[in-house]
Amino acid sequence: MISACRLFFFGLTPLLLLAACGPSDTRVEEGNRTGILHVGNGAEPSNLDPQTITGLPEAKIVSTLFDGLVELHPETNEPVPAAAASWEISEDGLVYRFTLQPEGRWSNGDPVTAQDFVTSYRRKLSPRLGSRYAYMLYPLEGAEAFHRGETDDFTTVGVTALADDQLELRLHTPAAFLLDLLTHSSWFPVHADTLEAFGDLDEPNTRWTRAGNLVGNGPFRLVSWRPERFVQVEKNEHHWRSGEISLQGIYFYPISDPTTEEREFRTGRLHITNTIPPDRVAVYRDRNDPEFHSQPSFSTYYYRFNTTRPPLDNPKVRRALKLAIDREAITKEVVRGGQQPAYSYVPQGDFTDYRPGPFFQYDPDEARRLLAEAGFPEGEGFPTKEILYNTMETHRLVAEAIQDMWSEELGISVNLTNQEWQVYLETQNRLQYDISRSGWIGDYLDPNTFLDLMLTDGGNNRTGWANEEYDELITQANREMNTARRNELFAEAEALLLQEAPVAPIYFDRTNYLMSVSVQDYYTTPTGYRPYWRVNLVSE
Amino acid sequence: MNPVAEEKPTAVFLPGRNPMAEAWRRFRHNIPAMAGLIFLLGFLLLCLIGPWLTPFGFEEQNRSLGAASPGTMGEAGRHWLGTDRLGRDLLTRLLHGGRLSFLVAVAATMVSLFIGVTYGAIAAWCGGKRDAVMMRIVDLLYALPFTVFLILLMVIFERSLLLLFIAIGAIEWLTMARIVRGQVLVLKTRAFVEAARSLGRRSSALILRHVLPNSMGPIIVYTTLTIPNVMLLEAFVSFLGLGVQAPQASLGLLINEGVSAMESAPWLLFFPSVAFALSLLSLNFVGDGLRDAFNPKE
Repeated sequence: MISACRLFFFGLTPLLLLAACGPSDTRVEEGNRTGILHVGNGAEPSNLDPQTITGLPEAKIVSTLFDGLVELHPETNEPVPAAAASWEISEDGLVYRFTLQPEGRWSNGDPVTAQDFVTSYRRKLSPRLGSRYAYMLYPLEGAEAFHRGETDDFTTVGVTALADDQLELRLHTPAAFLLDLLTHSSWFPVHADTLEAFGDLDEPNTRWTRAGNLVGNGPFRLVSWRPERFVQVEKNEHHWRSGEISLQGIYFYPISDPTTEEREFRTGRLHITNTIPPDRVAVYRDRNDPEFHSQPSFSTYYYRFNTTRPPLDNPKVRRALKLAIDREAITKEVVRGGQQPAYSYVPQGDFTDYRPGPFFQYDPDEARRLLAEAGFPEGEGFPTKEILYNTMETHRLVAEAIQDMWSEELGISVNLTNQEWQVYLETQNRLQYDISRSGWIGDYLDPNTFLDLMLTDGGNNRTGWANEEYDELITQANREMNTARRNELFAEAEALLLQEAPVAPIYFDRTNYLMSVSVQDYYTTPTGYRPYWRVNLVSE
Repeated sequence: MNPVAEEKPTAVFLPGRNPMAEAWRRFRHNIPAMAGLIFLLGFLLLCLIGPWLTPFGFEEQNRSLGAASPGTMGEAGRHWLGTDRLGRDLLTRLLHGGRLSFLVAVAATMVSLFIGVTYGAIAAWCGGKRDAVMMRIVDLLYALPFTVFLILLMVIFERSLLLLFIAIGAIEWLTMARIVRGQVLVLKTRAFVEAARSLGRRSSALILRHVLPNSMGPIIVYTTLTIPNVMLLEAFVSFLGLGVQAPQASLGLLINEGVSAMESAPWLLFFPSVAFALSLLSLNFVGDGLRDAFNPKE
């Protein structure tokens, strides 16, 4: 240890001093000149395959490497052309016909064809790939049956290449949000030839996503991926829109600690941060910092209960745990970033016209009563359970506050355990946790994006909860054409969900971030979509 | 006139030259070592009785008073060192954490002491091939990246405080084994050991009665130097989130929490780091002092 200290003082300090005396240009200033954007990405991406990823850290990078058929205009939220130049919707809302961009190219120069989309959707739905988001394609006729392995005839699925540049999607029921849905990474095409060079088409986790191998159709292409250091992308010269794009490249840094990230930003090493340390939000807000940005996001921060493990398999226990969390205290005194306490699972706000209002209240007395009914009066005999969270300061604070509330109000003790992002996702997927901190950001602006998560065996359910009545209500709602009636059905389903409580909503999150004033035309939508190709950098 | 009878031959006996007493005499005159010892004893005492002196519980949250600066008046009393982000009294947590850190350090050091001394003494006493094999095993273990090994242990087994003691102790005994072996190798050829052996004492008795007591000096010195190492290791493991469990606190964990609030609430980093640094410094001074005391160069 002593020799290590010496090495540090005598070896590293002079080096650091030297480095500090070097050219005075920061990374951001240099980036402004050369058109390179430096972004904090939160966590190290677990994969870059658009068809198997589930997390936001991955989606942020993948959306620069691939284009869906359409994308949303960040200001109006209207669908605008991406890989498709135009589209027609049939009268009954069941058939969508897309004309692809005439100049659409993959990053290796191959043209993007309608057949690419058909092949990609076939891969997405193939049971072998095991995509957790496969249900995103279920609005397509026959997609669910194909994914469940009931047939291996892909022609039964409602997607056809009519010509090289003509793609037709057929739905089983009209879905008003289909165009929104298409902006999600699940609907991105992949380059079949590249995939097959590294394994079978529907083989998960092959080496095709490595830098040098990956071929995409997005405005940027992957240059290098250094785990725990950065992911580097550069402008894709083959992209049909490359003439409009001024940004030359982007670096994504996996910095999971917001304090470190803020320091990087302050020292001119990041243009945009992923988030802001919770206790700093008020400071920035109060002084109206021009670099501070805060906006509501269509997302919920919640706790999942593993309903396959006793005593969490008892709905009364779960409800008790849910009711004993003082959400006001958490938002006002712990996270303090302007978040709203959540008394429903679907985020409330101006996102959609679905506003069913609070489904429950903070009620420790009722919680105690329920726990006693479940056989644990005053928490007696309740086994010690564990709260799992991915390593991040905010999550630890919330977990410690909840740990305290449960011990105070219910007399039960829980332990905390943290895991790194990829391990944490894996643990959740395998249901190897008791209680897990979770967050979900809507994939499109519709309550369905939250409510269909909890369907029986849903790829992103991750609680083991299964309820036929709930499944039935969601299916009915999605068949319903009348918006008011549809929302009623959703409200009924959500009430049931929160009564059964496989999840305990904590708060509705906000997107808080710091951004250098040199970044122009940067948008982040409530669904977390960021069209980086629009960004312009100005140097002072 | 003084009676001649009183003129006894003056004995040349000096007052008893007990090596321990000698060492203590030398140690007392070593100012940094004494300062370190006094600080350590004081801090330990505070840690032991401290949590009863403050009106707060170490896990008691008062969330409306989150990250209050030092000296803020709380409901039950003044928060002399401020509060953390969840409104827990920092002084209470610091003392509680100090207690835990010392507990881990002392317990793990004892484990390493036990394994190291036994192993080293046996290797040296047996000598020959057995010695060579045993010491090559130590060399092998030295080559293992021990933090990785520790993390592996913590991941495979349930996380518990007991395991933390054992795991840290189990990787800290190597140097101790080498030191003891060296001592025993020297001592076992000395005349008094030969004498005892010729009187028919068994090997175990020889080691326990004659060899080990005479190698006490280096053992004590190295033990004192192991404690700060173990504290650092515990801090490191807790820093990674593998050590002590929330809401328990250890100095390492408090520093970890402090780092993330460095700018908004610097006291959360300052006080635990100062306490930790001073403890380490004191332990090192005491260790150095002991080394000088047992091993005078005069």
